[in-house]
Amino acid sequence: MANETVEIFSDEEKDILQEIMNIAFGNATADLADVVDIYVKLSVPSVQVIEIGALPEYLRTTIKTDGTSNIIEQKFWGNFKGSGLLVFPGGTERDLMAILEDQDREDISNIQMAALEKGGLLEIGNILIGACVGKVSELLDTFVTYSPPQVLQGDTNNCNFLIEQFDPSQTAIVMKTLFNFKEKDINGFLLILTNHESIGWLRKALKNFMDSYE
Amino acid sequence: MIVSQIFDMLDAGIVVLDRDLNVFKWNRWMSTHSKISAEEIVGKPLFDFYPELNKSWFLRNCKSVFTFGNFAFISQKLHKYCFPFKSYYNSLGYRFDFMQQSCTLGPLRNDSNEIQYIYITIQDVTEIVAYEQKLIEMNIKDGLTGVFNRRFFEPRLEEEFQRHRRYNRSLSLIMLDIDHFKHINDTYGHQAGDYILKSISLLVEKKIRNVDIFARYGGEEFCCLLPETSLDSAKVVAENIRKQISDETFHFKDKEIRLTLSQGVASLAKDIESAEALLKKADDALYAAKNTGRNKVVALQ
Repeated sequence: MANETVEIFSDEEKDILQEIMNIAFGNATADLADVVDIYVKLSVPSVQVIEIGALPEYLRTTIKTDGTSNIIEQKFWGNFKGSGLLVFPGGTERDLMAILEDQDREDISNIQMAALEKGGLLEIGNILIGACVGKVSELLDTFVTYSPPQVLQGDTNNCNFLIEQFDPSQTAIVMKTLFNFKEKDINGFLLILTNHESIGWLRKALKNFMDSYE
Repeated sequence: MIVSQIFDMLDAGIVVLDRDLNVFKWNRWMSTHSKISAEEIVGKPLFDFYPELNKSWFLRNCKSVFTFGNFAFISQKLHKYCFPFKSYYNSLGYRFDFMQQSCTLGPLRNDSNEIQYIYITIQDVTEIVAYEQKLIEMNIKDGLTGVFNRRFFEPRLEEEFQRHRRYNRSLSLIMLDIDHFKHINDTYGHQAGDYILKSISLLVEKKIRNVDIFARYGGEEFCCLLPETSLDSAKVVAENIRKQISDETFHFKDKEIRLTLSQGVASLAKDIESAEALLKKADDALYAAKNTGRNKVVALQ
């Protein structure tokens, strides 16, 4: 199986994708600061090719699925298609809300707070996933459309539906980056999962990307 | 064009804005609710008509759509509404000043795939919000008196207990019980009893602050949690309530009813290690008040 994976996606291609992500996330960071006043630091991303069978275990160990993480999931569609997953540790909701600091906060009861925090998570998730996926697509000379983001409760069962969208005989590309907000001490990470169907297209796009430098 | 007919017939608002946030399209739904016709607004800056949208959250969403080509979802929960349209909804006991809206923003690309415009769709979710509020209310309030119920109170007591202990702040709890309530029911009937429970709830609510949590704990027993309040201050509050109730004459049909309250007060202290222990202490104080003559406030140090 391992050999097949390498055939599907070579180490060189992985390196190129990593490079693209690196540039894209750099652009995303700059634009987030410039355009929407969100100051976020993204680590050098890592790219992994994972067989679908191993994906549940990967997600379980990567996302601390002890019920305390906040996970925001958003699907994207196009030539480049898959899911973005943003994972924040639990208890950071109110600090995240402060990043969207302009909210009208008067007369908010505790009951409404929970709904607000969810809304805030969705808004942050939508912007971060949109910025990162958008910039990767831009470099690959394509564009994607999105489904509304959703907040997943932090337990593994809820991750299963992510896996269901993949054919078990296939391979997924998982791109992972750590991020932290400069003004708030919030660390989290972003996973971009893309499936087999995108791989053929990705190889072509990566080749075009490299050709433009030669 | 068949598709373009949908634009005006749809039961939702559609607005298209250019990169300078001038209105490019304004569908009939928008005209109907805004009372601004397409002729009036098309070609003009949106903020000339809706200056209240010239805020960072709205600009952030527009800019993010133009820059990243993503979608932005402006939820009713966070923002209540985008466009201040009058709401005619009036049901389930709710009225809203403005139509509650759920909005989506997205990119519109030209033939060369550049984002030239953004669209905003506006959905009226007022009725859903009303149902939601009703459900929340039914879940946390006592149906008879309208004050919080026990289901709401207990987790709040736990939360406040943890928070006040962590920051070493004072927190007090009053337990209130109507004296000889069974006698009122037996003498004047259960409707009178219900009336008394409602009246007392109203009177007590007027004597406490907004931050205090007043709940019906069961039967004729109530709890009042007073954040950031010392035992001495809580005693003053309880004494005020006691006096107000014992001075009051309640009128039910042609009957005059007089009654009194017994109250137990307790505060956070070193020896109280749990929310239940605080409740227990206030309850012990209440029993002491009952056993030593009623119509009184007993505080346990």
